[in-house]
Amino acid sequence: MPEEPVSSSLRPPPASMPVADEPPPADEVDVAVIGGGVNGTGVARDLALRGATVALFERNDLAFGASGNSSGMIHGGVRYLLSSPSVTESSCRDSGYIQRIAPHLLFRMPFLMPVRKAPQARLMFELIDAYFRAYDDYQPLKRGEPHCRLDASDLARLEPGIVGSLVGGISFDEWGIDGARLCVLNALDAIEHGGRVHVHTDVDSIARAPDGEGPRYVVSARDRFTGARVRVRAHVVVNATGAWSPITASLGGLPQTRVRIRPGKGIHVVLDRRIGNYGVISEAIDRRQIFVYPWQNVSIVGTTDDDYYGDLDDVRATSEEVRYLVQGVASVFPSVREARAIGTYAGVRPTIYAYGPNEDALSREHAIVDHAPDGAPGVYSMIGGKLASYRIFAQELSDLVAGRELQISVPCSTHTRCLPGGEHVPDALELAAKHALTPVAARRLVFRHGSRALRVLERVARRPVEREVTCPCEPVIEAEVRHVVREEMARTVDDVARRTRLGLGACGGMRCAARCGQILAHELDLVPAEGRRMAREFLERQARTRVVGLGPEQARQEALTLAHVRASLGEP
Amino acid sequence: MTTATVIVVGAGVAGTAAALAASRAGARVVLVDGGTGASTLATGALDFVPWYAAAGQPWRVPADVAALLASLDAYVVPDGGAMLPTTAGVVRAAVGHEGALLDVRPLAGKRVAVVRCERPGWDADALARAWGEAYVPLDATLLRQVDERLAPDADFAARHDDPARLEWLAARLRDALSRAGSRVDAIVLPASLGVERARAAELTRRVGVPCGEAIGLPGGPSGLRFERARDRAVEAAGVRRVSARAIRVEPGRVATDDGAALDAAAVVLATGGLLGGGIEYASSESILAAALPPFARVPFQLTIEVPLALGAHGQPFHVPGSLAGIPPESLAWPFVRDATMDAVGVIAAADGRAAERLFIAGDLLADAPRTWLQAFSSGVRAGAAAAREAVTASASRSEASGAASPSRP
Repeated sequence: MPEEPVSSSLRPPPASMPVADEPPPADEVDVAVIGGGVNGTGVARDLALRGATVALFERNDLAFGASGNSSGMIHGGVRYLLSSPSVTESSCRDSGYIQRIAPHLLFRMPFLMPVRKAPQARLMFELIDAYFRAYDDYQPLKRGEPHCRLDASDLARLEPGIVGSLVGGISFDEWGIDGARLCVLNALDAIEHGGRVHVHTDVDSIARAPDGEGPRYVVSARDRFTGARVRVRAHVVVNATGAWSPITASLGGLPQTRVRIRPGKGIHVVLDRRIGNYGVISEAIDRRQIFVYPWQNVSIVGTTDDDYYGDLDDVRATSEEVRYLVQGVASVFPSVREARAIGTYAGVRPTIYAYGPNEDALSREHAIVDHAPDGAPGVYSMIGGKLASYRIFAQELSDLVAGRELQISVPCSTHTRCLPGGEHVPDALELAAKHALTPVAARRLVFRHGSRALRVLERVARRPVEREVTCPCEPVIEAEVRHVVREEMARTVDDVARRTRLGLGACGGMRCAARCGQILAHELDLVPAEGRRMAREFLERQARTRVVGLGPEQARQEALTLAHVRASLGEP
Repeated sequence: MTTATVIVVGAGVAGTAAALAASRAGARVVLVDGGTGASTLATGALDFVPWYAAAGQPWRVPADVAALLASLDAYVVPDGGAMLPTTAGVVRAAVGHEGALLDVRPLAGKRVAVVRCERPGWDADALARAWGEAYVPLDATLLRQVDERLAPDADFAARHDDPARLEWLAARLRDALSRAGSRVDAIVLPASLGVERARAAELTRRVGVPCGEAIGLPGGPSGLRFERARDRAVEAAGVRRVSARAIRVEPGRVATDDGAALDAAAVVLATGGLLGGGIEYASSESILAAALPPFARVPFQLTIEVPLALGAHGQPFHVPGSLAGIPPESLAWPFVRDATMDAVGVIAAADGRAAERLFIAGDLLADAPRTWLQAFSSGVRAGAAAAREAVTASASRSEASGAASPSRP
């Protein structure tokens, strides 16, 4: 009896996009973008600047996934120097562009890479030195300093916390950024150029329009808070949902295998303050490269890379992952053990799929999937990519869509036109004096908002009470909280935290969550109890991210938070 | 000559109660005070169990506890409990409250004014909206100096210990009341009414309507007012204060960090839990320091040397199954309701007895709700039991010495 090939009976029937069973909406756009990460908001901005009409849908909040949980760097792609120097060059050039369009949001991040004494360490040192000499050629593109070759005593002077017997080391220069704000600014600019952005709005189907008139596709979504339905007709649909991409494809009946990713979970541990002035590269127990670096007003230890098959809406670090990172960094920089971990964050990289290689060996490169062969011309998926190259990726996709689908010949301008607030960076100390803010509060405000800080402070000029500090750790003033609710689409305490870093400091939101909930309830016209519910949810979610890295001091802070919640807010 | 000495280690809510109870029971008491702890962070609400879990509980304080509470002269326990507004926007039930807080339970059907002022976390309009229809914002001047906008709650409150400043405030509030468009029956203020003592009653007298604070963040003036009340009550009771940190406790002896050793017939240990500093959580990260630790250990330790084991949920801890430490997510809120981290402590009998002549009170007790009245009443029980034991021991000792020396005149 001939044997039936096993696989054929298991193969799913060929997928095809369903036809919308409701009459198509009157609401028409050129492009519907699904996903509010850096790729989605980047594409929305790019196309909006070219004059296309765009609607963006985000299931959670902007920067909810990998974009808001990255290492927060715009790096120059130093690791591609040997394999594809052109990638390094374009990365560095783009880093320069991003500095130009959002000068307020970037900060210099010098790194030290110590080389330990070991057999052939001298040779290794020479090779590293030569490698970074080659990288120096690209540094001017991003206003980077050339690398320095350091001997052991130089290293000890620059960063006394580094231990072990060292041959020497090198320094190199990168730039840090707030990834969540980068997404928000791209989304804002898209809106200011005629686009629409729906946050907390879950796309539940992508279907073909039943008639031949007008745009081909109907995207249906539902507001997750109000339940309101949003439906648009679009010529082009862009799936920019990162790790969620296969799920999104399935909503349009497209084969998930075409947008396969290898989901790689990465976690970071946040320490309560800047424990050094330099990032320090170190090796984990399995020889993976990990690092500790000062970032904004905290230090961050990163990162892991593990295949992840869990719930993408609820990705959390585990205590094992925290131990792995702390142990690895401590081998070079032992004071990290005594530092107080005030939280962790986790995201899932949408790495391009490959079966076999170790997670680290997977490419961080990006790819555009054209779904025309799947019977859905005009539907594109963005796979892979990284924060640092978001703008190039967005440009590539927008070039394709504008030229092939929309017949728009306007060239890309995302590298020359400033992101909102990037036009000029006001003097923080002047603002502090003028509005009776503390200098730190003014500086942090200018860092996040650039020239839009002036708009925030217009609120203070009208209502001086809004200069009150809501979150003392960061710090964040009340006017900024109200501003991000009104102007930046924040709808929960978590959303405010993503945009302002409210509640992400050492007290974990104990001092600000309830107040932030009150402001939200007021601004969004909700009952006060709803504000308290959001505050409790935020406190609980944050506690979950903290507890896995719990140390002695933080344990006492947890007990205090709990005592406070018990005394004044009610059951956690 | 009496040797019926009770040493109380820890001068927080539980230690104070134990010292006062032991003193009242006739023992000579030494209170070893190692500095501030969780009691200083108390927000001023008195509960036995967390209020949101307390539905149907009798709002009654046992007579022995009530008597000692009264000797602190800083707390109010109304019949039938109290209702206290908090800056988190709720009006919560409580058994009683620290004297400066405004109890709105007697004000049902009345109008309560919420003073508008530029203090951190205080938004009178939002609070009035959240607390309910009876609350209305009231424009009044509270700040007299520019630095008061950013001053910590306790510093701001300390200014109203000055009678002149309190009168200034009273005048501003009277003025505000006269300008208010409608009738106002009470005034609620941010944390502000004194550090030496609660100035609420005095302010109420001067203004003419009940005035008081709302519950604010931990670390406000309420905890400081507790400390002052304790100092006065302990002194009045003739308790000897020793400012030192206990480092080792054995039955009948307490060694302190200044090299002294104190002898006693019984010891009450009230050094606090995780928050107060009596128990320490040693994280896996610091255990992972240079190498793995030489033996498996429970991640919780007492911060002073005592021959007692820690436990939770009615059981002492077992040897953990991991040298690297127990995963914190299996111990802590919010992953686990009723979390070990919250319940950890010394397992003791109902009167606090954990070993011979050694009693435990307050947050150091395992499985006790971490509330003010729990700490206070466990202190009352432990102090009384320790005094009983001390008196009995000294009586039997003098009897024994009497029998051994029949020739004594």
